[in-house]
Amino acid sequence: MLKFRRFLYLSGSFLLFLVKFAVDIIRMNVEMDMGGLMFLRELAAAGAFFLIFLTLQASVPSHAVNPARRLGVFLFIAAVFMIGAGLMGFLPADGFDAKEFTLRPLDYASLFLSSLFGLLAGIFAMVTLRFLHDLVLMYQKKSTVRNFQIFIVLLLATAVSSLLIRPLESSTVTSVLYGLTLVMAVVNAFRMPWIVYQTKREKILTLVFSFFLFLLFTVGNILLSQNDLLSRGLLYYSRPVQEAVSLSIWFGNLFCGMVFATTLFHLPTAGAFDRKRSEVASIHTLSKLVTQVFDFEKLTESVTSMTLQVVGAQSCWLELLPAVEEGKGEESDLLPAWHTQIVGMKNITRGEIEDLLGTGLQYLRSAVYRDRKPIVVDAVAKDPRFAGGPKGVPRPGSLVIVPLVSHVGPIGFLYATKESEYGFVKDDVELLSTFADQATVAIENSRLIKKSIERERLVQEMTLAQEMQRKLLPQGLPAVRGVDIDAISTPAFEVGGDYYDFVELSETTIGVIVGDVSGKGIPAAFYMSEVKGIFQSLSALYASPRDFMVRANAVLSASIDKHSFVSLLYGILDVRTGRFQIARAGHCPLLHVGRSDSAYLRPDGMGLGLAEDDFFSDTIEEHTLQLAPGDACVFYTDGVTEAHRNSDEFGYERLRAAAGLADGKSAARMKEDILRAVDAFIENESPHDDMTLVVVKWLGLTA
Amino acid sequence: MSDFTIAQRERENVQVLELKGYLDAHTAPKLEEAFQSLLNAQRYNIIINCRDLSYISSAGLGVFMAYIEDVRKNKGDIKLSNMSAKVYNVFDLLGFPLLYEITKDEQEAFNKFAGSAR
Repeated sequence: MLKFRRFLYLSGSFLLFLVKFAVDIIRMNVEMDMGGLMFLRELAAAGAFFLIFLTLQASVPSHAVNPARRLGVFLFIAAVFMIGAGLMGFLPADGFDAKEFTLRPLDYASLFLSSLFGLLAGIFAMVTLRFLHDLVLMYQKKSTVRNFQIFIVLLLATAVSSLLIRPLESSTVTSVLYGLTLVMAVVNAFRMPWIVYQTKREKILTLVFSFFLFLLFTVGNILLSQNDLLSRGLLYYSRPVQEAVSLSIWFGNLFCGMVFATTLFHLPTAGAFDRKRSEVASIHTLSKLVTQVFDFEKLTESVTSMTLQVVGAQSCWLELLPAVEEGKGEESDLLPAWHTQIVGMKNITRGEIEDLLGTGLQYLRSAVYRDRKPIVVDAVAKDPRFAGGPKGVPRPGSLVIVPLVSHVGPIGFLYATKESEYGFVKDDVELLSTFADQATVAIENSRLIKKSIERERLVQEMTLAQEMQRKLLPQGLPAVRGVDIDAISTPAFEVGGDYYDFVELSETTIGVIVGDVSGKGIPAAFYMSEVKGIFQSLSALYASPRDFMVRANAVLSASIDKHSFVSLLYGILDVRTGRFQIARAGHCPLLHVGRSDSAYLRPDGMGLGLAEDDFFSDTIEEHTLQLAPGDACVFYTDGVTEAHRNSDEFGYERLRAAAGLADGKSAARMKEDILRAVDAFIENESPHDDMTLVVVKWLGLTA
Repeated sequence: MSDFTIAQRERENVQVLELKGYLDAHTAPKLEEAFQSLLNAQRYNIIINCRDLSYISSAGLGVFMAYIEDVRKNKGDIKLSNMSAKVYNVFDLLGFPLLYEITKDEQEAFNKFAGSAR
């Protein structure tokens, strides 16, 4: 569609040019008063150029091309035109005869030349305006567009006003308009903010291109004013076209001259501007680092590659110190003995880094660690700090070490090297420091996220362990005639190792066990499940609590690790007789609550898992307690006696007092009394340890 | 909770660790570390002065169990002294006095080391 339209425009303009050419031929041969014909001629020219303008408009859409490249293209077009014009100017043609402000071609060559040159000059003027339009309107403001429009309108007005006069005549109106157009050309020629934003390389190109363009336009101006054949030819061709071409070339000349001068002015700062621009760009990119916290590898890769980019370093690497737990790290000026870890490097190998560290770099690193300030070595080869170390290690020309400092202190170092000496200027170091700060934030965040994921995982494990622990405890209470039992185990905030259980050994005997596995958390939960297994299987085999303990110790010792152990208190109650056999393995004493008094019962016995068979069995003794009907026995774990408020513990005496006497209250009531007393004692503090209470009340001979 | 500190000093050939504060599951690693460094330095005559130890949990007791074997294998010992009644009770309940020498004061423990060396 576009192609067709262009074709239509072009053939239309060609036709119009032919019409005009035909009129010129007629004019050459026939002497006549040709007012109407002259008008037709100008109309044909104007129409032809308008169609060419439309064609141009449809075929030069490029807006995104950078100005230097545009100038390059324009320079090529201008050069071709000027060379063509120059050649035409010296063709052997007789020229034009001036008479009464009008021109007459002396031969057909001149006439033909005039037509061709008029056409080319008109097209060139349009191309010029088109290019300058794009350049002037870059980074446009409202006034920019308006100024350019005024210029074009004035240019057209100048051309139109010249319709009324003969080729060599001059009129005030036309001259004034011409002058005003030039003023607007100057105004527009000052619009070139795009120069500032060019890179140094682009500025150099712009400088060269604009220089040659300026030259070419100057040549064009000279040709148009000095060469008779061309200037008269153009005037003969059409006075309005001549005015427009002349103004366009003036505008091109002014604009390119201004571009040249301005670029020249900006060139010395171009390097600095480039640097600033890349700084801004890299800091912008760096801010994206913050989003890369989920992938540590990617993060360090970004940090190192950006370091190279930002300061144009030859090589760089990033070293991190191991993450320090907050508050745990001791404040020290010395670089900790543990080694830093190289987490990212560019254009350098691990081996080369280690070689460099051997040459004295590590002392610099210590200094950076201590002072938390970057250190620059301008000339590594001449630096006394690098004098030591192995010979033959390739060393960089200059290098810089920048610390990564978080709120807890240095967390690592960023190194950059350059081949040349004095490669790092103050700006580079400042930029690297800014960079290091950003990287620090990103790395810290990355670590925090990792930690919180870890913590989340731990919490889940803990929940699982708590669940497991809860399931290991009896889900109900044994229903044995003649005995009233109640029990509770309240886990603290973590998984503890408290355990209690019951076993109905026969219709008339019941076993009650309470235990505590050393430590906390998952290992404790595992040992607890092992203890339950042992109890459930062995209790049926051993009628004596002591025998059970000895056997349980043997089994447990084989599997438990050496810093863990288990305390147990095991009693077997004969419901018919009130005979209570108990054995204690390192556990809290049994509280026997009678009708008139209460007392602790503490048979000897060490904890399970602490000693081997014989040694253990020698320590353990069995005690038989004869209960009176209504007597109660309280089993508990140290969470009860060690429940504390500040440094004051609940203790044995308070427990004994809380249990009261066996005055007919139920096991449940006694349990409640004790819990309430503990709660009251610790006030509103949450218990630090698991608390387990089992109350066994023998009802006496009822059956 | 985690206010637990260890001061280490040397008395002739005997290393004395003074424990202070709460020794529980959270602070036990500190004591483990101290034991480990003594063992690494091949110091096997160790007195644990418990004068300022205000609390010990089962996890704390476990630390002693973890190292006693190695220490004794190397003809050394871990002796404990200056325990408060409360702390002693915890040791006693579990039968630790059968496994460890627990003396009233540090001098007594020291003398025992000196006696066995002679």
